[in-house]
Amino acid sequence: MSWQYGAWTAVHRLPLGLSRYPEVGQAVRAGDIIAAGTTYGVPVRVATARRLGITPADLERVLRVSVGAEVERGALLARTGRRFVRAVSAPIDGRVVHIRADGDLELAPIVDRWIVRSTLDGTVTASDDLAVTVEGAAWALQGVAGYGPDAIGELTLVAEGASADLVPSRIDVRQRGRILIGGARGGAEAIARAHACGAAGVIAGAVPAGGLRVVFGEDVSAQGSPSRADTPTVLCLLGFGHAPLPSQIFAPLATLAGSRAAIHTESARLFVFAPADAVQLPSQPASLALVADWGALRAVDGVASQAADMTFASEVVGAAIMTADGPIPAANVKSLV
Amino acid sequence: MTVATATGLAATVDVAHESGSTRIGPRADAADLRVTMGEPLRLAVLVGREPANVAAAHAVALGANADLAVTLSTAGAGTLLERASALREARPNAVLVIADKGDVQGMIELVEALRLGCAAGPNTPILLVSADEKARARISASAGPLRSEAVPAPTTPSAREAIVTRLRALRRGGGDIVLRDEAIEAAARSLALANGRAALVLDVSGSSTSLALVQPDGALTAAHSRLGVGSGADRIVARSGLDRVRRWMPRPIDAPALLERVFNRARWPDAVAPSVLTLALEMSLAREAVAHLLRDSERAGLDMRAIANARWIVATGQLARFPRAAQTALVVLDALLPAGTKLISRERPDALVVAGAIATRSATDVAGMTEDLALVTSLSPKRATTVTVTDDAGAIDEKVVRGAFFLMPTTGPVQITFAGSTARETAGPLALGVIVDARGRPLELPQRDAERVPTIARWYSAVACLPIDEGTL
Repeated sequence: MSWQYGAWTAVHRLPLGLSRYPEVGQAVRAGDIIAAGTTYGVPVRVATARRLGITPADLERVLRVSVGAEVERGALLARTGRRFVRAVSAPIDGRVVHIRADGDLELAPIVDRWIVRSTLDGTVTASDDLAVTVEGAAWALQGVAGYGPDAIGELTLVAEGASADLVPSRIDVRQRGRILIGGARGGAEAIARAHACGAAGVIAGAVPAGGLRVVFGEDVSAQGSPSRADTPTVLCLLGFGHAPLPSQIFAPLATLAGSRAAIHTESARLFVFAPADAVQLPSQPASLALVADWGALRAVDGVASQAADMTFASEVVGAAIMTADGPIPAANVKSLV
Repeated sequence: MTVATATGLAATVDVAHESGSTRIGPRADAADLRVTMGEPLRLAVLVGREPANVAAAHAVALGANADLAVTLSTAGAGTLLERASALREARPNAVLVIADKGDVQGMIELVEALRLGCAAGPNTPILLVSADEKARARISASAGPLRSEAVPAPTTPSAREAIVTRLRALRRGGGDIVLRDEAIEAAARSLALANGRAALVLDVSGSSTSLALVQPDGALTAAHSRLGVGSGADRIVARSGLDRVRRWMPRPIDAPALLERVFNRARWPDAVAPSVLTLALEMSLAREAVAHLLRDSERAGLDMRAIANARWIVATGQLARFPRAAQTALVVLDALLPAGTKLISRERPDALVVAGAIATRSATDVAGMTEDLALVTSLSPKRATTVTVTDDAGAIDEKVVRGAFFLMPTTGPVQITFAGSTARETAGPLALGVIVDARGRPLELPQRDAERVPTIARWYSAVACLPIDEGTL
């Protein structure tokens, strides 16, 4: 998909341990903290209803803390009776994470804290324990796969051109906190260097699949792998291997360089926060072709015409598109609208 | 193409592929039936210690073509929070809970983790609980706000079928569609019924792989997965490993370069393989998709002996659409590694899938929807032996030594006899002929490229499988 300005929705999934989340309707900006929480250590099960001699259904009535509350060791968790008091106190510092169906409490120590930042300027439209959804207007570019955590930063043009590779030597610590625009290919070395220099993320026409394995591990797939881990953020715009960016994609990217932007890895989208008239989109959409050995993608330039069915080298028969470089199966050409 | 049904009506069926669909039938305005993959179903399995229950749960997942997002066992280590995190990450649409007798408390621990991880939000998973009544009540109480339904213990085929039907309903959503795996099963049933012999239908599409074996008495053994040669291609690599795909390539190709091609294919719906290399890659992916499904089926306790004994194998989907019939035959052969003599057929493009879709609603005539390709005989001779193939042109004796692999083209009806045996195998006219496979079982491929690539290339050329001119691959 090519550039579009419009209203977008970004769903930010949350891990366990949420302690703060926004109200629906709250206005947020990309980069604002929209949720915060804690990472837990090994939980401790605290017999509560049984100790108090009540049924699990009655537990809520006598609880002195709610789920999610932070407590110190010895803090009163639940209490019943007036003259003959029965009470349950916290055996450790931590948070109440769960009330079990049998009336026991799960208390877990806090070992770390996490935050989730918005990737859109807009309004919170849904918010619960699992996810926060933000809706807002932005320029957006749909990629094919996003890897790593979400990233927010200033869009910075690093590659020499739409067909150039992202060269590690062009990346340094001055690009800390920025989203770097690569060209046709962002290799593992460039991605690792960008991460080491503190860059927020890297976007490129393509990333070598082998490089993705080096950076993100053997389990990486073509569908992307959003995560919260401290890994680089990478957005593949067109595919894998090598993919020069068509001018319809690269020119607006270059124009928007310097704008605030965000990569939402789960949806594989780049959001750029600039006025609706900041970019004049070309009237002709870009066409993209998968090369014959599927190892790369290329823009279909010049005049291309639909030809009749033809037999390819593999003996597969199918509709072909005639280009200056020869016929391409029509199924392997798509228009980026 | 017009599909004639037993009722005399000609149904029009849309068969969905990765990005578009093909309409088959007389109507141009709309279709009577739609065959699709349905909604992806992410299934979490919570099981006890009983290995039979674990296998049965996996068999259900294979039967329903569900993505097995996570499996947690009461025997597994992990704190409540670790289990809850795993379940939250898995984002299941449905959770199959199979409690062992006497281990209800362990199951309640898992269900507590499920409630902690997944009970919030608008799209909570549905629990399908297999347990005795008392245990089910305790499990449902632990599940809190999560909806739960009772299902039978999946230890019998009929019980598994009931659970599969429920899970398929979730995949179907609100739409009146025929799931592709349902159509494949129905097609296998129709073939077995029409021909009075067991039929094993092997379907590989861009995003799914299915095998459905139906015995003449109607007994069904089926497994389906979301591995495919298109959008499901990267899953094959993730599950089987890149080397397992690479080992079938008839030319040296380094792993990163191959991975690039797999990833690009996975993100390009309905891409065509224009080069010999990409066609060879599709064939390699198809082999591994089937082989992986067979391994999963074995782990899930499906009747592998019945699958191995099926004498008639029908290829459908992408597997049937390779440009040369020999390509289909070779992939089926390498993936299934059958023993004995088998007849390999393929559907005419989408015909059997369409017939299967119609068969889910009414009786269907499947005559003429398949083409017999080859009679494959697999031998493991200790000493050289002789196979005699008789066809319209007469009888030909071929000496078979260990490791031999060759095609004997035939015309008209075929009969095979073996030296020193009274056994004889027959078949009608074949598109290819008789393939003799004495490569041995299991098929052992050399580790080193320098040895493996010539071996693979030799097998390809033995059955005239690839349009390889010297230097073009």
